[in-house]
Amino acid sequence: MNGLSNGLSIYRAPALAWLALSGLTLLSLELGNWFHTASWLPLLVAVIVWAKGALVARSFIESHLAHPFVRRVLAGFIAFAPAALVLTAFFGDTLARWTQL
Amino acid sequence: MVAGELGSEPAEAAGRESASGPERTPQAAAPGRRIPGNKGIWVGISCEFVEFAVMFIIYFVARAHYPEAFQQGAERLSKTAGTVITLLMVSSGFLIACSVVAMRAGRRRASLYWLIAGFVVALGYPVAKLLEVQWNLAQGIDGEAGIFFTVYYYLTFNHLVHACWGILGMGWVLARHAFGGYSAEDYSGLEALASYWHATDIIWLILFPLFYVLA
Repeated sequence: MNGLSNGLSIYRAPALAWLALSGLTLLSLELGNWFHTASWLPLLVAVIVWAKGALVARSFIESHLAHPFVRRVLAGFIAFAPAALVLTAFFGDTLARWTQL
Repeated sequence: MVAGELGSEPAEAAGRESASGPERTPQAAAPGRRIPGNKGIWVGISCEFVEFAVMFIIYFVARAHYPEAFQQGAERLSKTAGTVITLLMVSSGFLIACSVVAMRAGRRRASLYWLIAGFVVALGYPVAKLLEVQWNLAQGIDGEAGIFFTVYYYLTFNHLVHACWGILGMGWVLARHAFGGYSAEDYSGLEALASYWHATDIIWLILFPLFYVLA
């Protein structure tokens, strides 16, 4: 019995991450339904996207143990889309003006 | 099946570790400097991230120019399909992460079973995508249905292509694993595949709210 629990304990971190990722996915869907007219919804969605990406990087890829290059590539990519989402939501007109052909 | 192995293999794994020492395992060396998998896969993952970063720029520029089209477009997509694909990606990533953890602990057979499970779940993604596209076309949502749907097909098909490469890689790693190609001392090929799949998972986790949540 002790061996069984010791054996299963190695899967605890990925299992908790999987539960959190599934929960955040369902939560973001519900939040989208409840607050679809709220101006701050993109901010909340951006935070959830960042949290999910960071969770995969840390719990599945073990980025905290990885080479600094790998850590930076992951951190940069995971932060990029949420940051762009917030900028587009609050400064969309400016971005549209800058990217006018 | 996993539990059945728990009684015997951990002891073998522990014996291996005490006999050889953790420094013999390249994957366990130098915390804070590890390359998950190998350098080659991180060149590929970096290129994949750059490619999708460019596509995200296209998405956000289009969204800034046509905010109404992006709000209305998301309401017409199947949230069920998006959620199913997300859960398939996350679950296959979890199963493959367990395969790596099991191999690291010296449980080769358990690692193989986790990988088979991850492969089967990952195969659900192209199937779900096919059903989603059929549903879309039945609703009149094709690539010319508007700017939102053009960007949606462009990004999600690109992601599907990357996921199919990952599934093909999974098949190759699975075949090598089944013939004893990996061990607790050397599983860099398995971990490289896992890293690629997790990176592809991260990209989907960004795509999902952009197309299915932000209505």
